[in-house]
Amino acid sequence: MEFIENYLYYIASFGLILIGLYIMLVKDNLIKIIIGLSIIDTGVNILIISMGYLKKGTAPIFSRESLLPSRMVDPVPQALVLTAIVIGVAILALALTLAIVLYRHYGTLNVRKIRDLKW
Amino acid sequence: MVNPVLLIIIPLTGAFAIPLFGFISKYISKYISLISTLVMAVIVGSLIPKVINNPIIVMIGGFKPPFGINLVVSPLSLFFVGVISLLGFLVSIYAIKYIDDGDIDKYHLLFLLFITGATGVVLTGDIFNLFVFFEILCISSYALVAYNRDKDGVEAGIKYLIQGSVGSAFILIGIALLYGLCGSLNMADIASQIHSVNSPLLSLSLFLFLTGFGIEAAIFPLNGWLPDAHSSAPSTISAVLSGFAIEIGLYAVLRIVCTVFGATDILHFLAGLGIFTLLIGEISAFKQDDIKRLLAYSSIGQIGLILFAFSLGSPEGVAGGLFHILSHALSKGLLFLAAGYMIYKAGSREIGKMKGLGTRMPVTSFCFLIGVFSLVGLPPFIGFPGKFIIIKSALSTNQGYFFVLVGAALLGTVIEISYFFKLLQNIFSKTGEDKVDEAPLSALIPIIIMALIILAVGVYPEIVSRFLHLASANFMDRMGYINNILGAL
Repeated sequence: MEFIENYLYYIASFGLILIGLYIMLVKDNLIKIIIGLSIIDTGVNILIISMGYLKKGTAPIFSRESLLPSRMVDPVPQALVLTAIVIGVAILALALTLAIVLYRHYGTLNVRKIRDLKW
Repeated sequence: MVNPVLLIIIPLTGAFAIPLFGFISKYISKYISLISTLVMAVIVGSLIPKVINNPIIVMIGGFKPPFGINLVVSPLSLFFVGVISLLGFLVSIYAIKYIDDGDIDKYHLLFLLFITGATGVVLTGDIFNLFVFFEILCISSYALVAYNRDKDGVEAGIKYLIQGSVGSAFILIGIALLYGLCGSLNMADIASQIHSVNSPLLSLSLFLFLTGFGIEAAIFPLNGWLPDAHSSAPSTISAVLSGFAIEIGLYAVLRIVCTVFGATDILHFLAGLGIFTLLIGEISAFKQDDIKRLLAYSSIGQIGLILFAFSLGSPEGVAGGLFHILSHALSKGLLFLAAGYMIYKAGSREIGKMKGLGTRMPVTSFCFLIGVFSLVGLPPFIGFPGKFIIIKSALSTNQGYFFVLVGAALLGTVIEISYFFKLLQNIFSKTGEDKVDEAPLSALIPIIIMALIILAVGVYPEIVSRFLHLASANFMDRMGYINNILGAL
């Protein structure tokens, strides 16, 4: 039980990453693949946040005398996640745009039917 | 002294200025990318004498490392920025006429962002900043591959996007694990304490970095996107993607493996992987009928050779790899640019339809010939000294393993010669039609300049080899890198 309590965030984030990867590998529909990508992104973001998380910790405001450094949450991962979210949104938007154009060309979103370029 | 931050700021400002100038005319954007890359090249030229003795470390916002983001302008990164700006400039000249309809301003905006990302990756000394610039590079290249919005381009673009973004997710997981273990994002700081960390997560992190950057670098099992993306993109974009984008991925792989992790024990594995990539690329190129696909597969082959050179683990080998990066950027850039108008005039990408182009487009075909000779490594072109240094340094390791790999690399080169000569035979065969129908001047100028550089550096390799040896010695000196940055306190 203690193990789960300590590593809950890691289990959850790696779970999400694996679910996302599974969706990307198995599904045929391009939109579902893009959703899988977005789930991976969410998992990674939770992983980064949990790296610096402290139970019952608060924001690192140094002007508050009563707040000890050991009670502060590491702010760097949160800044990283902010950037990672923005990048994820950019990729998602571009992917959906390309999916729309692809649908106009092929009339389908099934990736097994979109195979003009063989290699 | 010129501040090296300008190398990132200039293309970025150019990119954001394009929509503003777009209110006046979208044709201005062509000249913005031309001028930005030219200014970058000039700055690189002015910085070269300054970095020879000591790398310049720029602390952004005045935060001293390991806090804040710092840029490291070492001879190696300056060499890469030089290749990026030179090729970017030549490709911008070519694009004046070649990219002439559609959303010209968007093309140039993405192109400048692409240059920004590539420059940032090689200059930064911060691992998360590396990721951000890498994403700028990748996202703009996904969009540029699909720029024509035709069937092939969009399909290749989405394939590239999906594989690339899984790769970037892996990189991000790697960064998260590394931050959790070391508590730092500064590459030198991580490198200085990585050997005191003892955790299985460290190898997982290394593996994730290798996979993530390996996708962009097109190392063998991860190169499925490359032939599609490079062959479906506009020729200017194929030239820069092949010319420096995959090399940037390779740079990131080696910076992580050699400097951050100091994992010299996996170099043997990478060397084998490199040769495997080389053979797969060359064998696949052999059976292609499509000229751009052939060139794309040949890029996979060359990247394998460069990976092999870097994995030799000696300064000599790294210098050979850098030389080969320069030669590949120029030769493959030339071939893609020349192929752009050859496809246009022949009306098809099939090699069989290229017959008679040798008499119809004499200058372009002649330069194409120079590019091919250089790529396969014939003297006196630039490809010869590159391959020569790599093979020489591989043989001087005196290890049977490397001897076998060199043999395989030479076999790959033989295959390369055979398919390129098949291509040349088609281009230069006579069809009786001898009306000269040459590419426009804006395309000929960059092609001729590249051919001249290929010839000049091939005859006098000393022009660059001294600087490259310096750069490689600097790259291999892991402790020097750490001390330089952390010592700047």
